[in-house]
This record gives sequence, structure tokens and C-alpha cells, in this order.
Amino acid sequence: MSTEKTDISQELLELVAREGMVDMSEISPESRLEDLDIQSADFVMILMALEEEYGVYISVDNELTEVQTVQDLLTLAETKIREGQKDATA
Amino acid sequence: MTRVVVTGLGAVSACGLGADLLWKGVAEGQSGVRPLSFEALPNQRVGTAARLSDEDKTRVTESEGHRMRDPVAQYALVAAREAIEQAGLGPNDFGDECGVVIGSGFGGAQTLDDNYIAFGVDKNMRLDPMAVPKIMNNAAASWVSMETGASGPIYSPSTACSSASQSIGLAYQLIKAGAVKRCLAGGAEACLVGGVFRVWELLRVMTAEKNRPFSKDRNGMTLGEGAGVVVLESFESAQARGATIICELAGYATNSDAGDLLRPNPDRAAACMSAALADSGLEARDIGYVNAHGTGTVANDVTETTALKTVFGDELAGLEVSSTKPIHGHTLGAAGAIEAIVSIQALKNQLAPPTINFNEVDPKIGFDPVGNEARPLRTKAVMSNSLAFGGVNASLVFKAFDG
Repeated sequence: MSTEKTDISQELLELVAREGMVDMSEISPESRLEDLDIQSADFVMILMALEEEYGVYISVDNELTEVQTVQDLLTLAETKIREGQKDATA
Repeated sequence: MTRVVVTGLGAVSACGLGADLLWKGVAEGQSGVRPLSFEALPNQRVGTAARLSDEDKTRVTESEGHRMRDPVAQYALVAAREAIEQAGLGPNDFGDECGVVIGSGFGGAQTLDDNYIAFGVDKNMRLDPMAVPKIMNNAAASWVSMETGASGPIYSPSTACSSASQSIGLAYQLIKAGAVKRCLAGGAEACLVGGVFRVWELLRVMTAEKNRPFSKDRNGMTLGEGAGVVVLESFESAQARGATIICELAGYATNSDAGDLLRPNPDRAAACMSAALADSGLEARDIGYVNAHGTGTVANDVTETTALKTVFGDELAGLEVSSTKPIHGHTLGAAGAIEAIVSIQALKNQLAPPTINFNEVDPKIGFDPVGNEARPLRTKAVMSNSLAFGGVNASLVFKAFDG
């Protein structure tokens, strides 16, 4: 996999906007999820899409309690995706 | 006032067939969590559950099985037979004087799953003609009543993770009210099938790693399966039969959050525990051990700890608390019965079983459960709690029998 980090960040940002039903023009990594009105049900949709597209499983638990901004979520997702790729090639 | 006593215990769990093997597993901290995989679920995200060993599963569902019974009914029957044998109940002890209250969360999940796949995927029109009576939630209770001849009231509470605690509590109330002399009470769950497992994955409350209740690094629950059945009877009835009394079921309470399906309310959990204490006539300081609901999800652990501190004081002084779910798993509709049996055994053996996989106190809740090693108890009373999805709380208080 030679995906550039910036590409995946952009893809993930688009995924969060699409599944969280927020306009791309309103979303930025610094946005707080709360301010974007992304609620727990939207969260589950985002996590389901991450599973479908990247094969990562994130439980709605400790890992998510510290997530406040879109960037927090992107960082968590990217970490999980990288772990998954490492496992797949190991 | 009618006193209610426990005279028999029976359990089927990942720890083995029998209440003694369940106790051995929890007391020694031997987890029954095993790898599991489903043919129809190739992209499985969570790969473990506290499932029965292959030998036990074969024995329960094939050697002793019946083509009219889903595994869930089979688990309930095996647990009931054990409890009846221990209680020493004979053929004349059933009839209208004996009720059956056995709950389940998912009922005949295996039958439903197999038939949906046969119908929806394989387009097979020749399905199991007995699917309905195998799937229905009350089948386990009905099989227990048919096999024993217990023809008193029959109920099958389906209140998710509180089903079996409510079953035991309802049976206690029936006996106290004088409606029956005795009851076979508990719960059964055989939910470890692809379809059910996948919808739990979707809810994302299961951990892909180890179940670590109350630990700072917790990351969700681990599912389990099995059954627990207890024989409850009025003190007079047990005495008249010359039965050996294991302990007294001294108090019970249940309430509803009336708030949110998934987010528990600590005030309501605390109110439930307090009401069970009041019903038992005991004080908080009389309780030496609590078997917590302790699922290992952040929502449960924070709520339950807050509730425990409200009822037992901030320091939880003189109280041992553990979650035994990392050992027998979260058995949903059987959980309340399996954990009631663990609590009764803890009282009998004066030993608080450990919360295995515990690594570190979570500063968010500041609570140090019985971690990794069992601790000795000196107590005459214990409590078992269930806090279910749907906002259903249930607490049971068991007391040493003192004549």
C-alpha cells in the first residue's frame, strides 16, 4: 500500500461528512463533533462505514471516550487502519 | 411473612456442565472464553466468546438433545435437572404447587439463524417445520415444565440482560405471595450464532480483545452462553420435605430507568439496589460481596460504580465487588441466574471470586474491584445486580440461612 497519508485523511474526512450527514464545506479537522451535531447514532454509522471500507473494528468504548474533534476521530481511524495493514502483511 | 429459600442450583456455562464447575472456574479465575468463528460470517470482527467447549456442546445438544428443542431449551433442561437433583425434589413435588419462571433474551437463536440462511440464501423452501415452537422465547420454560410436570404458573421474562434476575425475583414474589410452594427459576441463552453475533458487532459494544471490567483499559464486553436454574421454595415447604437449605433469598427489587434504551441511569440502578436491601431487611453494611453487572463497557462501568457508591458509600468500605463476566462471558438472558449462582457460592464458600484481566484502576471511576485473585469474605449476605438494555434494573440479595 503506497497511499499517501494526506489522501487517506481526505478520504476519511469525506467519509465522516457523508455518514455524519454534514456538508463538506462545514467540516474541518478542528471541528468538534458535538458542534457538527454528530450524535451517537451517527457515530455508529461512521464506524460501520470505516469497517466496510477499511476493514477496521472500533468498539464504542474507551477508544472513543477521548474523541472530541473530527481530527481525534481521523487519528484513531488512521491508527486502526495502519494496524490492520500491518497485521495483513505480517 | 413467608421466607424464601434456595435448595438447588444448576448451571451450564463455558466453565462446564454443573454449578460446581462454574464455581471452580470463577473462583480460580479460569476463563471459558474461546475462539469462535461462523461459516456464514467471513468478515468477523470479534473472534472470541465464552462458548461451551465442543465436548459439552455435543453432549448437551446431540447426545441428550431432542429434535424439537433448540439448544437454548436444552441448556435450560440440563441446568434444571441438576438443580432438581440437588434439591431432592421427587415426582410429587411438582404439579400446581410448582411454578416455572425461565427467561431468555434471544430464544431459539440457532433455529432462527439456520432457517433464515436456508430460506434467504439457499432459497430452500423445505425448512424446519418445528421452527416456531423452537424459536419462541418461552420454549425453554415450557420444556422444563413438561419434563417435570410443574403445572403451576409459567413465565418467561425477556428483559435482555435482566431476564434471569427478574425470573428469580418473580419466582420469589410468587412464593412470598403464597401462589406456589416452589419454583424452578432462572434463564437460558444460546445466542452464539452468526446473525446474533453480527448484530452485536454492529452495536460495537463488544471488545475485539480481552474483557476487562472496571479496568482503565477496558474496551467492551465478551458474549457468552449457557443457563442457570435455581430451586426456590418457601421455608415451610423446604422444612416439611427435610431439604438441605443452601441459603435464603432475602430481598429483590426491579425498576425501570424510563429514560434511554442503551444509556443506563446510575440513580435508578442505585434506587433498585436500595429497594432490594429494604426488601431484605438488611443494611448496606450487612452486604459483604456484590457480583456486579460489570460488562466491561465504559457506559456500564461508570454507571454501576456511581450507583454502588451511592448505596454503599464512597469508599465501599467492607465491601468486595467483582465482575465474573470475563470468565463465563456476558450470557444475556442467562446472566442473572449464572451470576446469582456465583453469588450464592461466594456466600457459601466465603470467597469473593476475582475480576480477571484487571490491569489498572480507572481514575474516571476511582474503583478497585477484587482484581485477578479471589479474596476471603466474612459475610452473611451478598448481592447480585443486573442492569439491562431497555433501562431494566434488577437486584437480588441472598443471606446465609440461620435457621
